[in-house]
Amino acid sequence: MLKLTSNSIYKNFGGLEVLKDVSFTVEGPELIGLIGPNGAGKTTLTNILDGALKPSSGTVYMNGERIDTRPPYGVARAGLGRTFQVTRAFRRMTVLENLLIPAMAMRATARQRDFEEKAQEVLEFLTISHLRNEYARALSGGQQKLLELGRLLMLDPQMIILDEPFAGVHPRLMDVIYRYITEINAQGKAFIIISHDMDTIFTLSRRLLVLNYGDLIADGDPEIVREDPLVKAAYLGEDEE
Amino acid sequence: MSPTRIYRVAGTITIVLLLLIPLASSELNGLGPLVLSSYFMHLAITAFFYAILASSWSLLAGYAGQFSFGHMAFMAIGGYTSGLIGKFIRFTTAPSELCTDIPLLGNWWLVILNIRRVGTIDESCLDMAKTQTLPAGTLIIFPPVWASIAMGLVMGAVFGLLVGWLVLRLRSTYLALFTIGFSEILRASISAEIPITEGQSGLELVPLFPAGIMGFTSTSKIPPYYAMLLLFLFAMALMTWLAGSRFGLFIRAIREDEEAAAALGVNIVRYKVLVFVITSTLAAAAGALQGHYIGIITPNTVIILQMSLVIAMAVIGGLENIYAASVGAIVITFALELLRTNITIGPLHVDMTLWRLVFFGLLLMLTLRFQRNGLLFPILERISRGRVAQETVSIRVESEELEEVVTEEEVALETEEEETQPASSEENPG
Amino acid sequence: MENAAIFGWALLWILFWGALGGVVTPRVYARKDLEISQASFGGAVIGAALGPFSLLPLWFATPKITSRLIGIAIAIVVGIFIAAFALADPDNLCVANGGFVISQLANGIVIGIIYGLMALGLTLIFSILGVVSFAHGEFYMIGGMVTYFMTAEWIPGVSPIIAILASCVVTFAIGYLFERIFLRPMGSGEIERPTEYAILVTFGLAFFLQYLTQALTSAVPVKAQRFFPFPRTEIPADSGALLKMTPGNVTVFDAISIPNPRFTAALLALMMLAALLWFLYRTWVGKALRAVSQDRQAAAVTGINPNSMNTLAFSMGAMLAGLSGASLVQVFSWLPQVGIPAAARSFVIIVLGGMGSLPGAFLGGLIVGLVEAAGTGCIPDATRAAAYIPAYGMVILTLVLLLKPTGLFGREL
Repeated sequence: MLKLTSNSIYKNFGGLEVLKDVSFTVEGPELIGLIGPNGAGKTTLTNILDGALKPSSGTVYMNGERIDTRPPYGVARAGLGRTFQVTRAFRRMTVLENLLIPAMAMRATARQRDFEEKAQEVLEFLTISHLRNEYARALSGGQQKLLELGRLLMLDPQMIILDEPFAGVHPRLMDVIYRYITEINAQGKAFIIISHDMDTIFTLSRRLLVLNYGDLIADGDPEIVREDPLVKAAYLGEDEE
Repeated sequence: MSPTRIYRVAGTITIVLLLLIPLASSELNGLGPLVLSSYFMHLAITAFFYAILASSWSLLAGYAGQFSFGHMAFMAIGGYTSGLIGKFIRFTTAPSELCTDIPLLGNWWLVILNIRRVGTIDESCLDMAKTQTLPAGTLIIFPPVWASIAMGLVMGAVFGLLVGWLVLRLRSTYLALFTIGFSEILRASISAEIPITEGQSGLELVPLFPAGIMGFTSTSKIPPYYAMLLLFLFAMALMTWLAGSRFGLFIRAIREDEEAAAALGVNIVRYKVLVFVITSTLAAAAGALQGHYIGIITPNTVIILQMSLVIAMAVIGGLENIYAASVGAIVITFALELLRTNITIGPLHVDMTLWRLVFFGLLLMLTLRFQRNGLLFPILERISRGRVAQETVSIRVESEELEEVVTEEEVALETEEEETQPASSEENPG
Repeated sequence: MENAAIFGWALLWILFWGALGGVVTPRVYARKDLEISQASFGGAVIGAALGPFSLLPLWFATPKITSRLIGIAIAIVVGIFIAAFALADPDNLCVANGGFVISQLANGIVIGIIYGLMALGLTLIFSILGVVSFAHGEFYMIGGMVTYFMTAEWIPGVSPIIAILASCVVTFAIGYLFERIFLRPMGSGEIERPTEYAILVTFGLAFFLQYLTQALTSAVPVKAQRFFPFPRTEIPADSGALLKMTPGNVTVFDAISIPNPRFTAALLALMMLAALLWFLYRTWVGKALRAVSQDRQAAAVTGINPNSMNTLAFSMGAMLAGLSGASLVQVFSWLPQVGIPAAARSFVIIVLGGMGSLPGAFLGGLIVGLVEAAGTGCIPDATRAAAYIPAYGMVILTLVLLLKPTGLFGREL
């Protein structure tokens, strides 16, 4: 059973405190929304969980293993996958190759053809199987986003962090992404979803984390968090929600 | 015919032809009307040499995205290592007493000759030992050429490992500057340490086959032709296998987006260092072989213009494909020789030995600007991917409806990300 | 060198403690949750300065590593280096002869100013386009060639000023054309992976220009006459103790002697520098250039066309290189290959000064000029030292890239 613990994470950039004493625990296949106004430290927190940044102090444990000291690929192998705010497909590689990379990286002795079938399933699930042999740069922005989600399925992590999965996406693709989250979550993978889209995040997630200028000001059921005076104050004038 | 089949057939035919070419050489009295001069054989060897360099550089720069300008330096490391071993190391059956002696198994000794002092008479300690300390009948054996070449490869790999590890944090422009610095330091050191390397006058190397082989003399072009060809074929086979395996997949992912690759579990440190080690070793192998074939190696092989020749070959052929790069190198080696003929149009006398490189430079720039993938690669691409394009054109029309709507929100997000970027690079440099 | 061992041990001492400081300090700072961006470089220079006597206090007190601290440490390292050299080789001209030292210093500064001007062009291009032009040396070479051929072959007797202006026009024009044809498409997203493209295409330009010049001229070295010979002067009139000028040389206080070509070249460079500063800080276009270098998007919003600023910056950078070449063609003999070491020197300077920093480029130029003057004047075993000269700068370059990729000044304009 998955357990991710972040213990009292601090992060300074020069003199700027971006995260202050952020602690939370994820247990089992939770579906968590992470919100906060611009500059609240959401992306920094993601980068720390993922190993791209080292915390100034504090630790992150996953299933009993310390992961904040590992490089990003070590964290990925420990079972944590993430997407980026701006889509980062491998543009001059085919869609299939994009999908094979995480699968191959996870297993030292595997060969490409072992995963082609699984890749096909993933592409069908994401409704882009016809683009299998296209270069990723030929895909539209939304399709590239789906490709990123597909790569995560091939990585097969226990926990997935999605950074703004709905930003600037056509409504029809939004349905695909929505279905992706709920179905994969039902299969037992935990999610942390960062989003500005309040409506979606409130309907989708079963637990909300709210960051405000580096402080974790709320953590709990979306309905309760919504009424939290601190959260209301943080969002007053920031966003319409 | 499927693309793979076309490649296989074309590849087999090419290999067979390359293996048969020496039969038509003047040394073997030609093949009917076709008689290839020994100059042609020399060009062919040089072409393979450049093909190994250009294709291994394409693996490093085109596949892995590491634009290193130090490739010729690794080539020189291979050549000089092999040459220095030939110059300074001997095996004897008795200690020389005058040189540095290292006992080996049995009654064999490894003798390291003293470094000649500038200004005194060039008398080897071993020559003195022959008349003074060594008992009569002592055997003195040169290190075998294959062994010194192998040591050249090892040194290439070691330096590749060192440079690859040092440049892990450096990207694009900084990497280019660092590798230029590395090769300039190497060149200056080789020029300066005259007692060891002979400086500008060049280090002499023994022939590839000092005693000749299979009836060919040591000056024959045919054995070196096969040696270089086999190295070339081996390098291509190795790189083909690498490019098609997880290694190729991962280094291309690193080229496209290092952080995304790491987030998907790719050990970027290992593969970035590995690609440097492999390509440096191949360059060193080519350098050692070419050094023994030519018989001399000078520090001028490391100058930046030599490097730009290799870059131009790879770029004009097709940077992102090892075959395109190697064919580009072969074609350009021959083209540059063919263009040596001077042209006289009326009163205008064009010295092509000078102007050919001007045109070549222009071609390089125009290729980069208008045919980014090189002149040969698009042809290969058309053969292997033509069908994919046709298949998806029809589907593309449907999926265009799914084209995303870029909202203001996303623009705002992108600027936010840019703001956090410098801070993160400061914290975690590179 | 008499007591080479002293020098060798001092060097080893500096290197050892420098390396230790560079490796350990960031760990110490990281453990105490302090900022570590400067710790590696700062630790290295502080360790190199006083060894354990400075490192231990640093690790215990862990003060904020300011640029002042680093500056002091560098000064101490240089001091120790010079002292060790003086102890090791007391009879060396650089130690025994004060007049020689001052002359070398003055010559180093004079040549450093010109190096700085050339590097300024490169850093200007980098700060606006984000591109290091690998063809910078060729513009330098062409500037010198045009000046030489104008004054010596095409129009003998023409004023050097006209020739220099002509070389400016030629290099500016080549830079302009190249930018418009080859670099402009980078901005429009027409070209993928623009950084790598820029490296390769400027490299191609270098290759092209070098062989073009070789084909048009020849490989015979040329050297221009000195542009502005000094009038013969002696102050005071009888002895010339204060100032003594001959057409080819000027001597001040009977001690500092600077050859005329270097002197005029540096003067030209200083005038150009003043003009450049005036242009960047006082004219509208110059301000626009600086705005683009600081924030491209914001500048674009205010109505500045970033594309034309790119063209301007590249052509001006090329022209600055051409101008340095034009003023140095009377100092060095000129060949089509003369640009390669000059370009390498510029790379060292801008990396040392911090890529994209104008003051950094100028200071870097002075440092490299001084180091070269010391290198040629002071090092015994001249042939070997001369062969190593191209490597000294490159050692600086690689070390700076590894230890402190932002250079002395980071990025500012």
